[in-house]
Amino acid sequence: MEEALVRAPIPPDLRKILGVESKTSSKAEAFTRAFLKNSMQRTSKHDLDSMLSYKAVILGFTRPQKDKSKRSSKRAKGLSAKQKRKMKVFQIKPEHQRYELFLPLHELWRQYIIDLCGLKPTSSPQSVQQKLLKADFHGAIITVVRSKCPSYVGTTGILVQEFKHVFKIITKEDKLKVIPKRNSVFEVEINGFISHIYGSKFEQRASERSAKKFKVKGTIDL
Amino acid sequence: MAGQLKDREAYQRLNYLYQAAHCVLSQNPENVELSRFYSFTQKTIARRLVLRQDPSIKRTMCKKCCSLLIPGVTATVRQRRKNRKTRFTVMRCISCGQSKSLLNNPDYSLWADQPEAQLQPQKQTGPGSSGEKQHKKTKPGESVSSQSSASTQQQQSISSSSGNKD
Repeated sequence: MEEALVRAPIPPDLRKILGVESKTSSKAEAFTRAFLKNSMQRTSKHDLDSMLSYKAVILGFTRPQKDKSKRSSKRAKGLSAKQKRKMKVFQIKPEHQRYELFLPLHELWRQYIIDLCGLKPTSSPQSVQQKLLKADFHGAIITVVRSKCPSYVGTTGILVQEFKHVFKIITKEDKLKVIPKRNSVFEVEINGFISHIYGSKFEQRASERSAKKFKVKGTIDL
Repeated sequence: MAGQLKDREAYQRLNYLYQAAHCVLSQNPENVELSRFYSFTQKTIARRLVLRQDPSIKRTMCKKCCSLLIPGVTATVRQRRKNRKTRFTVMRCISCGQSKSLLNNPDYSLWADQPEAQLQPQKQTGPGSSGEKQHKKTKPGESVSSQSSASTQQQQSISSSSGNKD
């Protein structure tokens, strides 16, 4: 009975006072699972079975030594590249690679782009494209239009991560695809306005692009 | 005001990235990696264009691994006490273990919230707060009450410079 009480949705009069909406059951379950996983104690340190079975353990008494390096390590230093690689900081786990999880992100992106460009039929395509150059493309639905490698052509999906030389997109079949920017042309569609991105000119990190100046003319060839 | 803002697009982009990180986490609380990627991008953009982020945003990002700190989801929040009186709010990132502690002080107000932090666009060249400070620095012994008209300020500066020569 108590469990049912905990799971019951918040009554409407309380909802107004608290300013909290009760979540749908699937969302609530996902949250609970993540919360439990985070707040459970890690057992890797105290894995007694494996410790006893492989190693000789000296049973003596020592005072726990104070960590002298704690004072210097209190300030955040950031992670080194080696640590980042080890922690897999930016790699999306395969169980999270689901297309429908990224649909809200796409909706958010759509609002952002419309807010940024102020898309009206009167606005000139040049000015919109100038803004698009510095815009963010995480969350956009992109399609490969042309490429030197024919098997990339026609791939469609939500752009999840943008790296220096590579786009990571997630397709409708829940597959994470890595597409190099060089030698391919991408297409972005916003409310009927179709824009092409030449990947060879786009070979920068997502963060560096906002500070970079683009040359107006240049030879584009695949 | 919003039309005059210089890096409007960059600010919009930062705003979008911050929202996207929240959006990803709300969809799937375990997908820390992607939200961390967006926060990291946001941080590097702000660093490259030298844009200051608001403290309320800085306090929700881990300094070490750049992940978004949301109490209960990616961070734990505890109240700690150092002496009898001083209490801290300690936020600890679950993924990397970095903690940040803030003093609980109800009288504290951020610099951006204080009235003298607001820049007056018209009085920049005149007797702004910065000009007054410089004046004080050049001649600390002089006890002149601050006057707000530009001409008197100029006269004072001339007199002070002549005094330095002697």
